[in-house]
Amino acid sequence: MINLYNICKRLGDFSLKNINLNIEDNEYFVILGPTGTGKTVILEIIAGMYQPDKGEVWINDRNVTTEYPESRRIGFVYQDYMLFPHLDVRENITFALKLNKTPHNIMKQKLQQMAGLLNIEGLLNRYPSTLSGGEQQRVALARALVTEPDVLLLDEPLSALDPRSKELFQQELKSIHQQIKTTTIHITHDFNEALLLADRMGIMQNGEIVQVGTPEEVFQRPRSQFVAEFVGMENIYKGEIIDKNGEQYVSIASIYIRVVTNLTGIVRAAIRPEDIIISQEKFISSAQNSVSARIIEIIPRGSVYKLVLDAGFTMTALVTRQALEELNLESGKHVWAVFKATAVHVF
Amino acid sequence: MKLNHSFDDRKKLPRAKKLPVINNRLFQGFIILVIMILSAFIFSALANIVWKGMGGLAQSIVSPEIQFAIRLSLFTSFTSTIICILFALPVAYGLERFKIPGRKLINVILDIPLSLPPLVSGVALLLLFGTTRFGAVLAEHGLRFIFSVNGIILAQFFIITPYMIRVLQSTIADINPRLEFVARTLGCSQWQAFYKITLPLAKNGIIAGLVISWARAIGEFGCALMVAGATRMVTETLPIALYLNMSVGNLEMAMAAATCLIIISFISLFIFEMVGVKQIPASRIN
Repeated sequence: MINLYNICKRLGDFSLKNINLNIEDNEYFVILGPTGTGKTVILEIIAGMYQPDKGEVWINDRNVTTEYPESRRIGFVYQDYMLFPHLDVRENITFALKLNKTPHNIMKQKLQQMAGLLNIEGLLNRYPSTLSGGEQQRVALARALVTEPDVLLLDEPLSALDPRSKELFQQELKSIHQQIKTTTIHITHDFNEALLLADRMGIMQNGEIVQVGTPEEVFQRPRSQFVAEFVGMENIYKGEIIDKNGEQYVSIASIYIRVVTNLTGIVRAAIRPEDIIISQEKFISSAQNSVSARIIEIIPRGSVYKLVLDAGFTMTALVTRQALEELNLESGKHVWAVFKATAVHVF
Repeated sequence: MKLNHSFDDRKKLPRAKKLPVINNRLFQGFIILVIMILSAFIFSALANIVWKGMGGLAQSIVSPEIQFAIRLSLFTSFTSTIICILFALPVAYGLERFKIPGRKLINVILDIPLSLPPLVSGVALLLLFGTTRFGAVLAEHGLRFIFSVNGIILAQFFIITPYMIRVLQSTIADINPRLEFVARTLGCSQWQAFYKITLPLAKNGIIAGLVISWARAIGEFGCALMVAGATRMVTETLPIALYLNMSVGNLEMAMAAATCLIIISFISLFIFEMVGVKQIPASRIN
C-alpha cells in the first residue's frame, strides 16, 4: 500500500502540487498524463531520489519520507532501462542478491525463476549493449522483481518499444502482475496502455492529479474537458468470458460477442467506434460479430457522424456522411453493427 | 491539380546574398594544405631532435646525470599523480553529483592553476611554504618542500590536479546518475553505488586522466623550478636536466633529456587515445 499526503515539489520551472494518492495492496495503478506533467517526479519521490518540499510518503503503513532509497524496498524500472552496462544480464539480475549476500543456491534458484518468468533464459551471458529494447526491458524488470519489492515503480516502461513488442509486453506485464501481485505504479502517456493494465488510474495535468478512478469511471465519467479529450475511447463494457468449443465469447448484457483473448473470468471489453461497420442487413463476412441495434441519436462530428446505438447496451460508431445518406440512417432505425473479434480489446 | 502556384511563389522569396564563388576543388585543396603544413611543422621539429639526439643518446643515457634525472622524474611524477587522483576523484565526483552550494565558484577556484603561468604558481607555493607559519610548522615536522624533492612533487601536484579534475568531471558527467539511483533502489548505500557502478564505468576516464596528468607531471618545469630549484643531481628532473645542460652548452645531454621526454609523451598520448576511444561507447549506453 502506498499513501501520498499533500506532496509538493518544485524542480526548476516545474512543480508538483498537492498530490494525494492512496494505492491499495496488489493494485496496478496507472498514472496517465501528457509528457512533461511531472509523472516521473512522483515516482522518484516515492522511490526517494528526491525529498518532497512538503508532504509525506507512506509505504505499507510506514512513513518513509526521510528514508534512503535503499531501505524503502522498491523496484524501479526506467523508460530507458538503466541496465548496468559493465555487467552481463546474469550479474544485472543478481546485483541486489549479491549485495545482501544471498546464499548461492537461493540466488541461483531466484535467477532461474525470474529468467523463466520473463523469458530471458537465453540472454543471461549477454551484455546490455547487445540486447534489443524489448530484451533490455525484460532484464530491467527481472532485476527489479528479483528483490521481491513491496512496490514496483514503472516509468513509461513501454514507450521506447516498437508497436509490436509493446503490445506483447503489455499482455505480459498484465499476466506477470496477476502472478506476483506486487503493488505497482505504472506511468504512461498512452491511454490504451492504461486501459489495458490499470485496476485504477490517475490522470495528471500540470503537476496535479485531476481524476482518480477505475478505467470505466474515468472513461465514462470524465470529470473535466481535459480528461475527456485525453481518454477518447467510448465503448467500454464489463462482461464475463465464456468458452464455447474452444472459442471465446464475452457476454455483455446477455449478448455474446466473439473475442480473441487468453483471459478468463470477469473482464472489460472495449471497441473503438471507428472499428464498427454499420449495415442494413445481416451479412456473412469474416467479421465474427453482428449485433442488432437501434439508432438512438446521430451526432455530427466534423467530417464524420457519430451514431449512438442501443444493442441491449449503448454503443457508439462512426460513419461518413456518404454512408449516412446511402444507408438512409436516421434515429429509430434498426441496423446491424458488425465488427471483427480482433477489434474487441479485452482486458 | 493546383501545383503551379508554388512556382510563382518561389520568385517572391528573398534571394541569399551572393558569396564570392570559390571552386570546390580549390577549397578542399586549401584545407588539405593547411593540415599538411601544420603537421609537417610539428613532426619535423620533433624528428630533428630525436634524429640528432640518437647518435649520442646511448652514451648520454647511461651517464649518471641522465640516469638520475630519469629516476627522479619517474619517482616524482608517479608520486604526484597518485596523490593527485586521491584528491581529484572525490572532488570531481562531489562537484558533479552533490548539490554543493557555491559549486560554480569552487569550480573556478580549482581551475585557476590551469590558466596561471606555472612560474606564478611556483612563486605562490614558494611563498606559502617558505615564508608562512604554515610552511614552518610542516618543515618542523619533517615535511620540507622548499628546494627539495618534496617540492617537485608539490609543484607537479599543484599543476596537474586541475587537469585530472576536469577529465574526471566530464567522465562522471557522462555516466547517467539514474544508474546509481537504480543501484540504490536495489539496496546500495551511496558509497556502494559509487564503488560498484560509477567507478567501474569511469574506469577508462580514470586511466585517461592518470596518463594525461602523469605526462604533464613529468614535463613540469616552471613551477618546480621555483619551488625546488635546479640543483644538479639533487632536484634535477628531466626538464631541469635539459635546462641545465642547455644553459652550459652541453647539447648532447640536453638532447638526450629532450628525447626521453618526447618518447614519454608519445607513449602517454598513445595510451590516452586508446582508452579515450573505448571510453565513449562504454559509458554512454543507457
